[in-house]
Amino acid sequence: MERRIKQIMADVLDLNPKSVDDSTCQDRVAAWDSLNHIQLVLALEQEFAVSFEVGEIEAMLSYPDIRQVLERKLHA
Amino acid sequence: MTPSSEARSEARAAVCAAAAAGDTHHAIRAARELLRRGGAQDLSFLRREIEKATSWSPPLTPVKVALLSSFSIEFVEPALVVHGFLSGLAVQIHRGGFGQFRQEIVDPDSRLYAFGPEFVILAVEGEDWAPMLYDQFLDHDEASLNACIGQICDETRALVQALRRRSAATVLMHNFAPPRRRQLGILDAQLARGQAQWVHRMNEALAAVCRDAQGMYVVDYAGLVARFGATRWYDERMRLYARAPIAADQWGHLAAEYMRYCRAVRGLTKKCVVVDLDNTLWGGVLGEDGPYGIRLGSEYPGSAYRAFQQELLSLTRRGVLLAIASKNNVADVDEVFAQNTNMVLKREHFSSLQIHWQPKTESLPQIARELNIGLEHMVFIDDNPVECEEVSQALPMVKVICLPQQPELFVDALLEDGLFDALALSAEDSRRGELYRQRDQAEALRAESGSLEEFYRGLGMEVTIAPVTKASLARAAQLTQKTNQFNVTTVRYTEAELVERMRTGEWLLATVGVRDRFGDNGIVGLLMARPDRTALDIDTLLLSCRVIGRSVETAMLAFVCAQAGRRGLSEVRGRIVPTAKNVPVRDLFAHHGFTQVANGDSGETAWRLSLAGGGVPWPAWMRVTVADGNPAPEA
Repeated sequence: MERRIKQIMADVLDLNPKSVDDSTCQDRVAAWDSLNHIQLVLALEQEFAVSFEVGEIEAMLSYPDIRQVLERKLHA
Repeated sequence: MTPSSEARSEARAAVCAAAAAGDTHHAIRAARELLRRGGAQDLSFLRREIEKATSWSPPLTPVKVALLSSFSIEFVEPALVVHGFLSGLAVQIHRGGFGQFRQEIVDPDSRLYAFGPEFVILAVEGEDWAPMLYDQFLDHDEASLNACIGQICDETRALVQALRRRSAATVLMHNFAPPRRRQLGILDAQLARGQAQWVHRMNEALAAVCRDAQGMYVVDYAGLVARFGATRWYDERMRLYARAPIAADQWGHLAAEYMRYCRAVRGLTKKCVVVDLDNTLWGGVLGEDGPYGIRLGSEYPGSAYRAFQQELLSLTRRGVLLAIASKNNVADVDEVFAQNTNMVLKREHFSSLQIHWQPKTESLPQIARELNIGLEHMVFIDDNPVECEEVSQALPMVKVICLPQQPELFVDALLEDGLFDALALSAEDSRRGELYRQRDQAEALRAESGSLEEFYRGLGMEVTIAPVTKASLARAAQLTQKTNQFNVTTVRYTEAELVERMRTGEWLLATVGVRDRFGDNGIVGLLMARPDRTALDIDTLLLSCRVIGRSVETAMLAFVCAQAGRRGLSEVRGRIVPTAKNVPVRDLFAHHGFTQVANGDSGETAWRLSLAGGGVPWPAWMRVTVADGNPAPEA
């Protein structure tokens, strides 16, 4: 799962997947604006065949946050 | 986790490799494969790979698209770039701020006009523009709903007029999707003035606006939403949270729909379908099952093959040519055509037959030569994956459709990509197959004739040169978009651009119709020229490949000279812009006594002919009629 999250983040935010780690968050990535945030969330939904609530979307502001939300979703 | 993840990684790697090598055909195949394995989540990746590549071979055709929208359409941009790429287009996008499309169109100094779009897409959701027809439907009476429709049409007309002052771009206008929720519930469909009916009337009125404007086309958004289903199309959460109403997995469908228009305007429409026979036009193998044993008829699976044949027949009515490339015995095939009454397609529907045991990679170029069309305008359909792969490898410009196992899926496989879309249906289209048969008869005459002039005389040609009118406008634009071989400059024009030229009154714009003893070919040529100081300068001179080699071009040049003389000009000028396709036109000017005056960049040549020597004489072996008050030649 982690590899796939990193790949999607890399695709949307124009990063090297290897550079994505626990410090990767919205404030530190130039391309992570509100538009790309929606792109990212929707791409993750497609990738993992899930649907996020708006509250979850607004909480997914870093790589650890995204992982956490997704883990909860997938193991619910 | 997902069974396809390995295949997806492989597809991604294939995209990267092909993009790095600049190999367009392989990159397109790999991108298709990736989209099949993955989906919307791969669009950002694909877009970056496509835009990162520095050069493509064969090169992509650049196209500038402005997206003006009542909602956040920027999410569709990656899909637009990717689907453009699948059609060989390099899409450049201008995005207006959402809801600001009116300002952008009205303001002559807006970024829209600085961008110089070739396509302007007005992507509006009915719910945004006409809430009265949607959630507020029950708050309004009939008079105000009528007023609402009238007002939207007026506004659309005014916007297009404002746009036309600055731009000849092709305008694509969304119609309105039916309401997802009927405010009157089950009663709605019963009423003469139900909510869905009102949206339908809105769409009829909008279509009328588009028909009256030039170069403006309806994007059937209602049909698109219906095709994929409103419950899947929309994402209510994102509509309210991010003003992005269209679900992520539908972006590709919307982008693909837009690209159908871009392809049609850019002349990328397919012109010929080459089909295999066994397990393609019928079930079974003719050589084993015999002309009556093949599966074809009213019962499954024969019914599925008949449905496929019917669809191919409909394509011929749209101007698409049919041909056969099959490994079979000619006598067996002849017997099927002659005896099997379940055949929907008859022998005469096919313009070229390659029935023998040679490889199909030889049959296809042979058909292309016979019909005088480029391989990139051909679609090859076969059930055999090996032969499909062979053709894909050897002739990557041919669109290959490898049929699925089940014949009931054939029709969708044929139509899903909108390969045959055109923006107009001319009288010539619906009888193109017949026109090619006339040409074949003319070719037979050429073989019998002793001299070229004898051949020309034997054809009994009647050429009609007439000004471009509203009635011939669509055909004129279509000719610029589709003609590749006998075309001096190969500039593509939209109807709107031609209207602009008609309006100025300065241009000489003429269509050329040709009739011969075998029948009427319809409008097959176009001429556009404009005075420049002392010369009449030819901008466009083209002839459909059906009438190449019959000296119709001599009549066209004689007409230009006569017109130049009437306008008191002293010479005629022309240019040849060489392309891979227009070899047949290269010696046009030299052949008619023009002198070469310049060599431009990239092989372009400029030519002039002084009228002091009398200009190009009218050809004596045909009857030329110049319509609309212009003096007729003494022929």
